[in-house]
Amino acid sequence: MTSKPNFLMPTNVESPSVSPFWEGLKTGRFLAPRCRDCGEIFFPPRSHCPECLGDVFTWEALSGKGYLYSWTELFFAQPEFDLPFLLGLVDLAEGIGRIAARISGATPEELSIGMPLEIRISNSGDGLALYYVEPFRIL
Amino acid sequence: MAIIGIGAVEVGRYPERRESDLALQVIRDALRDAQLSSKQVEGLFTTPDLQGNIGLQTNLLCEYLRISPKSMAEICCGAIAGGLTLKYAADEIQAGRIKTALCYGAVREASIGWFKNLSQGKGWAMIEPTALQPYAAYGIIWAYALSARRYMHETGATEEDFALAAVRNRKNAAGNPLAAFKKPIAVEDVLRSRYLSSPIKLLDAAASLDGAAAVVVASEDVARDLSPHPVYIQGWGLCHDNSCVIPTDDCSKSISHFTATREAARRAFQAAGVKPDDVDVAEIYAPFSSHELIIPEDIGWFENGEMVKAIRNGETDIGGKIPINTDGGLTSRGHPWAATPLYETISLVRQLRGAAGAIQVKDAKVGLMHCEGGMMNNGLVMIFGRG
Ligand SMILES: [Zn+2]
Repeated sequence: MTSKPNFLMPTNVESPSVSPFWEGLKTGRFLAPRCRDCGEIFFPPRSHCPECLGDVFTWEALSGKGYLYSWTELFFAQPEFDLPFLLGLVDLAEGIGRIAARISGATPEELSIGMPLEIRISNSGDGLALYYVEPFRIL
Repeated sequence: MAIIGIGAVEVGRYPERRESDLALQVIRDALRDAQLSSKQVEGLFTTPDLQGNIGLQTNLLCEYLRISPKSMAEICCGAIAGGLTLKYAADEIQAGRIKTALCYGAVREASIGWFKNLSQGKGWAMIEPTALQPYAAYGIIWAYALSARRYMHETGATEEDFALAAVRNRKNAAGNPLAAFKKPIAVEDVLRSRYLSSPIKLLDAAASLDGAAAVVVASEDVARDLSPHPVYIQGWGLCHDNSCVIPTDDCSKSISHFTATREAARRAFQAAGVKPDDVDVAEIYAPFSSHELIIPEDIGWFENGEMVKAIRNGETDIGGKIPINTDGGLTSRGHPWAATPLYETISLVRQLRGAAGAIQVKDAKVGLMHCEGGMMNNGLVMIFGRG
């Protein structure tokens, strides 16, 4: 087993306007804010709605599915990472935004752009839950 | 407006020299080339390298040069800023507020500070905390790698096609006295070099190095009086797309082609009254060989995906349809990022003066300079014409 954290601490975990997203991950939900002023649902979560700059939201759970938009295998990163590792740029299935996430459970040869992926959540210690992605497999 | 003076040091490493030392050398060379006295400098436009002197770069130069400009700015806008020094100098001259301006940029101790700062503080804020940050790595190679992979998916380009662009740049660099890397390389060398972030390999990537460059801009009447070979700034276009590095807030935003480059080029051609095919020689800001294929399609010389055939057929070589990065480009000239747009400009000025030596494009009359910031999130395209 590795002793490396394999992630970097995001800088907005404590930010009151975004913390519901990180809290949601702890309970297994991938949440996006919907603006109470204009109804826009957007991702990534931010302090203000990018459409109308409203700052009051309700938080909605997304499906946790996505599609691989592009990927890279990194051989060059901070000492926090075991190398190499696969990084995917993933379109959220709802079409509202993207995440760049570690790809687990696949080799580079098994990846193809457009393939369906599932967002998984891991407890990364320090009370932080993080997302990563795996190929979507129908059991 | 016209460029009447250029000065630069060979791209490399200068750990023993202070930035002010490099600055005074390249500024002196540019002023002598322009046959302008430092006391005649009316505008000073610089860009900091984010390691020191931020906010005091113009301050320091005014004392060291003993000049009192009427207009000045220290411009900080990512890697496009070196190009913006020229744009704002030209704006001030066009508005009639000044008649001469000095533009300057430099990077020192490149390897020590920039990537560390980008990862651990100053630049880190631009990596979206919720959507990217937990897994984003040093620098922004990973972002360009995602872009390159997507371009391969959409066009059928291969890693070998990217390698061809790196080889073209290296061949050209051999004829540029300011270039850092001149030893010839073959496609196999690029393909065998180690992966940094697939599909990008070591020899596909621009090395972050030290450099310093200065350019003197003047009004047309001053240029006519002083310069035997003015290079006219015929027009420019500028655009910032609504995105930051990798766009995460909208699945329709492309990372294989870039709106900012396209808009900047369209506006530049319109302002200068020329068409893409009128350009004889171009310097483009491609930090990785993959983007040597993407950017020419965005500027408008080729349709999407056509650069694959063009790079295989040598259409961007010296003597080809549109010679690109005749000075070695970012990958072989070397990449002192804050000064890179000024190095590109200097190479075009040499071409348009007919003074480019071994890399001269025959009878070059119109030159195009492209630079950008983030990952092509913004773009500046400037058109130059022979005097
Ligand atoms: Zn709103």
